[in-house]
Amino acid sequence: MRGGKLIRYILMRLLQAVPVVLGVVVLNFLLLQLAPGDAATVLAGEAGGAPPEYVEQLRSRFGLDKPVLVQLVVYLKNILLLDLGFSFRNNAPVLGLILDRLWPTLLLMGATLIVSVGGGVTLGVLAAIWVRTWRDHLISVVAVVAYATPLFWVGLMLILVFSIRLDWFPTSGMEDVVAFNEGWKRVVDIAHHLVLPTVTLSLFYLALYARLMRATVLEQRGAEYATTARAKGLTERAITLRHVLRNALLPIVTMAGVQVGALLGGSVVVETVFAWPGLGQLAFQSLFARDFNLLLGIFFLSACVVVLVNLVVDVIYVLLDPRIRVGGNT
Amino acid sequence: MRLVRCFAAAVIAVGLGLAGASVSLESAQAQKRGGTLVQITQPEPPSLGSYISTANPVGQVSSKIYDGLLEYDFDLKPLPSLAESWTISDDGKTVTFRLRSGVKFHDGSPFTSADVQFTFMEVLKKVHPRGINTFAEVTAVETPDPQTVVFRLNRPAPYMMSALSGYESPILPRHVFSQGDIRTHQNANSPIGTGPFKFVEWRRGEFVRLDRNADYWKPGLPYLDRIVVRFIGDTGTRAAALEKGEAHVAGFGAVPYNDVKKLEKLPNIQIVTRGYEMLSPVVELMFNTKKAPFDNAKVRQAISYAIDRKFVIDNIWFGFGKPTSGPISSNFAPTGLYSANVTDYNVPDGVERANRLLDEAGFPRKADGTRFEITHDITPYGEEWRRFGEYTQQALAKIGIKANVRYEDVATWLKRIYTDYDYDMSSNHLFNLADPVLGVHRGFHSRFVRPGTVFVNGVRWSDPRSDDLMDRATIEPDPKKRAELYAEVQKIVVDAAPLAWTHEISFATVVDKRYRDVIMSPLGMFSSFDRAWRE
Repeated sequence: MRGGKLIRYILMRLLQAVPVVLGVVVLNFLLLQLAPGDAATVLAGEAGGAPPEYVEQLRSRFGLDKPVLVQLVVYLKNILLLDLGFSFRNNAPVLGLILDRLWPTLLLMGATLIVSVGGGVTLGVLAAIWVRTWRDHLISVVAVVAYATPLFWVGLMLILVFSIRLDWFPTSGMEDVVAFNEGWKRVVDIAHHLVLPTVTLSLFYLALYARLMRATVLEQRGAEYATTARAKGLTERAITLRHVLRNALLPIVTMAGVQVGALLGGSVVVETVFAWPGLGQLAFQSLFARDFNLLLGIFFLSACVVVLVNLVVDVIYVLLDPRIRVGGNT
Repeated sequence: MRLVRCFAAAVIAVGLGLAGASVSLESAQAQKRGGTLVQITQPEPPSLGSYISTANPVGQVSSKIYDGLLEYDFDLKPLPSLAESWTISDDGKTVTFRLRSGVKFHDGSPFTSADVQFTFMEVLKKVHPRGINTFAEVTAVETPDPQTVVFRLNRPAPYMMSALSGYESPILPRHVFSQGDIRTHQNANSPIGTGPFKFVEWRRGEFVRLDRNADYWKPGLPYLDRIVVRFIGDTGTRAAALEKGEAHVAGFGAVPYNDVKKLEKLPNIQIVTRGYEMLSPVVELMFNTKKAPFDNAKVRQAISYAIDRKFVIDNIWFGFGKPTSGPISSNFAPTGLYSANVTDYNVPDGVERANRLLDEAGFPRKADGTRFEITHDITPYGEEWRRFGEYTQQALAKIGIKANVRYEDVATWLKRIYTDYDYDMSSNHLFNLADPVLGVHRGFHSRFVRPGTVFVNGVRWSDPRSDDLMDRATIEPDPKKRAELYAEVQKIVVDAAPLAWTHEISFATVVDKRYRDVIMSPLGMFSSFDRAWRE
């Protein structure tokens, strides 16, 4: 009964997502029109002293000589057919360009989520257990420092210490381009390259989760069900781990949902510092090149992912907390 | 592990000692086969089609894959490449090339005159951003036999002979690129040429991999097994990768000058400033000459006098530059096209002269000490340009001009300067390229006042005298007469100062010392690296 309702709810939400995503596409399209200059100007600029015939050639090839509304309608029609268009600058279809970057992005995103959520929750719970001792203070201070340090600085310092001085990790990239390893060796090599960027990207959210977790755990321990448990004679440790933790995870799930959205496009800095071939860098470069087809494609994908993650978060809520029900009429 | 490394260091130290003792024998030292060279190129190229895009990073990769008809030595003199020999008719209107036989493209098909004809007539003349101009006079390319091509010209085009490198005019295989639309050709990003390295793979955002072409027509070359071009977005990381030896060569501005100074002190790094002679960037201050007060020559001259070239080079470009007053780079001295006989704006009493000129021009200082107020658009190319903009602001303040600085992104700035002409003053650097016709005319010939076209006459200067001289120099086959015409051009425009040329930039190429003979051509990072080898 409950399973059927859940599936119907998911389908409903997916259907509702279509106009939302389309709205995002239209809004993005119109916003980008406000940026001065176009792809033809930039390409001609890079070419250095191109004659006007060349620039005109480019414009008509890109379809930039048509009115904006016509361009929008054409774009929407293509999106509905799941055709993300062609990046003239990269001389390649947008979908392929995005898919090439997707798996490094997901790899870095997944590793970061695991490290930051895992580490943050553990530190937060420990801090709550050791509340108002020196260990709690130490965790809090470290969290505040990690929270306040700019990412690019952390990244460069990690390179300086762990790569140049200690020679433990490579400075940048996703794999060794001199050796070109294959099979398991390649997996190990990529994991090796993954360490520094993951640590850098995790720090901020790890600190955030730690602080959030500590606060929620402390709050939940004062809740009535905790008092009941205490009256039953359970130990503090058992109460925290078995009852409080589960309730305290709810805000973390919300936060992780937000983090996924941010990670998808927001890891530009870390991707740049570590030369990680992710979507963030691609979006950044295409903005400056006015490569709007590519940029809109990335936005479209990001919008889809954010909508999906929101749905997943809501479903996890239901699973974590039986009091929350799906559907409008309870 | 640590021990092994110490031992290796000792061996290297001994090796260095030996090398030091036999410096004069260095060139005779046996070059070794093998090794991978990791090159850093910044930013990542948008495509690898150097026949349709002259963007800097494209050339840094494609020049390893494509050959040209000619190569050039450091005096900019042509050397044989795919063309073994060439003759130019007395009237300068027929150029005949004898092509090398037995050359194969990377896909195994033979290279013939048909490929040359196709490349010039169907590709470079039609879609190459500079080729449209460079080969405008070429009316036909004839192929009497597979090993001969004859260029028929409408008028003589002496500059054409400087534009035939594999970077500027890559020779394409006709059987591949004649299929389909050249503008969106699928092989743009999987190039096939005759060059020393074959394209293997391009993983976007990471690297391009080029492997040794075992069938290369130069016997025994290339020495390297592989070149991997990496893309690292962060300046600090680029320097770190070079310091650690993960990457081995980086040119142009890939490593900023302050990092170059730091890397220079490391034992494993060498800084090379050669290899930009065929590009020769000259920094210029741009004036909107159609707009008051910059329609007044005295105002423009005053500003040129106010710039302390030495200070700019020493403090902003970390010493990597050379003061100048004119548009043509001193790299053209060997060909005679450079002339030092121009107004010298680089004088110790520049500020006094500037103040006098402004007084004469009718802009006396007001009560607050200023004469007039303008907006200066900073060139959006990074650190040193920002500093240069701020310096210009201060230099102008000294002569009573209040300048407000504006900083925009590249696309916006290009549109403002070269399309809308909505500016007072800005700065830029134009490459002189291989010949003034290709790189210098565009800056101030009235034919190049073209709204919407970037890196041309954005100052909208128009002077029939210099236009005429440049037109005559364009078709003058006699090098001596050409030099005289250019000497006159330089004298006129430097005096009129539609632009204030301040200095020639020297780029610094960072090279790992284990790699030898990397920069062996005036095209530097745009050359094929066929003779580079690893110790």
